[in-house]
Amino acid sequence: MALYRIVSLIAFLICFASLAYHFLRLIRFGVPKDYSVKKGNTAAAIAYSYTGGMNPLKKESAYLHYPTYTAGILYHTGTFVSLVLFFLFLLNTGFSSSVQWALVCVLAVSAASGLGIFIKRTALNKLRYLSNPDDYVSNLLVTLFQLFTLIVLIDGAFAPYYYISASVLFLYLPLGKLKHSIYFFAARYHLGFFYGWRGIWPAGNEERTR
Amino acid sequence: MNNFEEKKNKALKVLSEHEDSKLLTHLNSCVHCGLCAESCMYYLTSNDERYIPAKKVDLVASIYQRYCTFTGKYFPFLGKARELDEAAAEEMTDLLYGACTLCGRCTKHCSIGVDIGFVIKKGRQMLTEMGYTPASLQSTVNAAINSGNNMSIPESELRDTLTWLEEDLRDEVNDPDASIPLNVPNADILYTLNPREPKFFPLSISAMAKIFYAAKESWSLSTQMYDVTNYAYFTSSKSEAVTIAERLYNETVNLNAKRCVLAECGHGSRAFRWEAPNYLQKQFPFETITSVELMAEYISKGRIKLDKSINKEVVTLHDPCNLVREGGVIEPQRYVLKNAASEFVEMTPHGIDNFCCGGGGGQLAMSEYNERRMKTAEIKAEQIRKTGAKVVVTPCHNCVDQLMQIDNKFKLGVQVKTLAEIVADAIILD
Ligand code: SF4
Ligand code: SF4
Repeated sequence: MALYRIVSLIAFLICFASLAYHFLRLIRFGVPKDYSVKKGNTAAAIAYSYTGGMNPLKKESAYLHYPTYTAGILYHTGTFVSLVLFFLFLLNTGFSSSVQWALVCVLAVSAASGLGIFIKRTALNKLRYLSNPDDYVSNLLVTLFQLFTLIVLIDGAFAPYYYISASVLFLYLPLGKLKHSIYFFAARYHLGFFYGWRGIWPAGNEERTR
Repeated sequence: MNNFEEKKNKALKVLSEHEDSKLLTHLNSCVHCGLCAESCMYYLTSNDERYIPAKKVDLVASIYQRYCTFTGKYFPFLGKARELDEAAAEEMTDLLYGACTLCGRCTKHCSIGVDIGFVIKKGRQMLTEMGYTPASLQSTVNAAINSGNNMSIPESELRDTLTWLEEDLRDEVNDPDASIPLNVPNADILYTLNPREPKFFPLSISAMAKIFYAAKESWSLSTQMYDVTNYAYFTSSKSEAVTIAERLYNETVNLNAKRCVLAECGHGSRAFRWEAPNYLQKQFPFETITSVELMAEYISKGRIKLDKSINKEVVTLHDPCNLVREGGVIEPQRYVLKNAASEFVEMTPHGIDNFCCGGGGGQLAMSEYNERRMKTAEIKAEQIRKTGAKVVVTPCHNCVDQLMQIDNKFKLGVQVKTLAEIVADAIILD
């Protein structure tokens, strides 16, 4: 196996171990203990938090911002596709040309979305004010990873650059906001628990209110 | 160690004490997408970036990063990890106390699910530990701790007020035996009051007394501890919140009431029903419900009869954030209004998406932020105006106060009432 592939695999393992540490710490800190009298169904609300509660029609962060929301969804889709491809490349999996070009199209759209989000962050006062270097670095590293995945799908000669971009991303990921790959799920859990305990979620209580 | 260092250490301790994984989660989850901005009335009415909910989260999270994370300690520039110094404490005070009503609207709409209100309350707790609580808000807490109610109403004054209210009740229901029972043990219900009621809005006490009378309820008020509010919830002072909550708990136990019924007060009902058992670390041996749910229960069980044609004017409803979005009482007030008013129209948005009136989070007690508070009220004023209603009902005395100020400032020409008042007006006595 080429050195750059070994390096990327080690970077991935470091990243995985670090995220596992964050995950295990969350587990160790435990779930809320609430002494008040439960009014709702927390299990159903937690399930709802990951499903219906994510419905774009339920969240202003989605329905007031459809272009950004759509770009975000595409961008995340591209990231998942790129991660799956990382392992498939390590296993030397080949693709038919139609699959290969379908993947290239998905990644082109997702990387463009990533770039769009980057430009928006740089262009809007509101977002510039909120942003810190980590926001830009994270956005760029993920977009580059997607772009290199796309390029390497077309031309394997770019593999060293691809694996370098993957390694940098994996090593950086636990340091900044990309940790939300773990904390997002924890946040949805706590939100579901909170709203579920008090009988606010799941839907049924939450009529469309606009 | 200098004075500020001592305070700082106390504040930082707040960030290192974890009851469960909630704090850790919400301090690490924000991705700075900025999509919560338009959910917050402070930002919407000012376009000021400082008021974006994520910025308020960041004020706490950046300090957490600086002192509690590897990246923040060794690469602080990456996430703008920040020292907790006097400038930071002052900025936190201005934004976490002065630019947030803890309405929770941003949390519900956050793209990730960050509990923004929870983080802001942690920030307030840090400030309280450092002695940065706005003096006006702290004085309300002090009044409750020192006198037993947040308006320092002497017992004799309360008794006088209740005596004339009782006489009025007798006249109104034409029954010389009608009463406002005081300190009666073993009643089914111990009823609470917001001290604004005996002080400024006694008619809401009469209204509830009339409802209890019509329902033939076994109930009592306590002259020792009747205050439903707990302003220490807003300052996040755990010890003071415990003291206040414990008094109401003890009084309910001492009088051996089966139910503690919380008066129309958004934060008060949240603080006692949902937070107090956790402050006191125990399950309560009595049931705790809001008067809103009780009125709905009376109507659905036929214990009171209403003639909604008596309330002829168009009525709209303002949902208090702590009762509705944060407290789960969503439908009962609608059910009550549909039975008590001829025409009821909803605001847009409403229910758990409703906008705060601007008076929550202790804002009404913090006069230093009055201008900001009334600026945020533009949204509520517009919501009300669009309904065309002549009466705004809200089950919260804090909201009543803010809505009356909104009516005055924006010349809406509406009457503001509690739910009990509108129900009492529609009651048909046997
Ligand atoms: S919507 Fe949520 S994740 Fe996005 S900036 Fe606001 S608080 Fe952070
Ligand atoms: S809790 Fe309400 S007032 Fe506070 S930041 Fe969120 S939306 Fe704004």
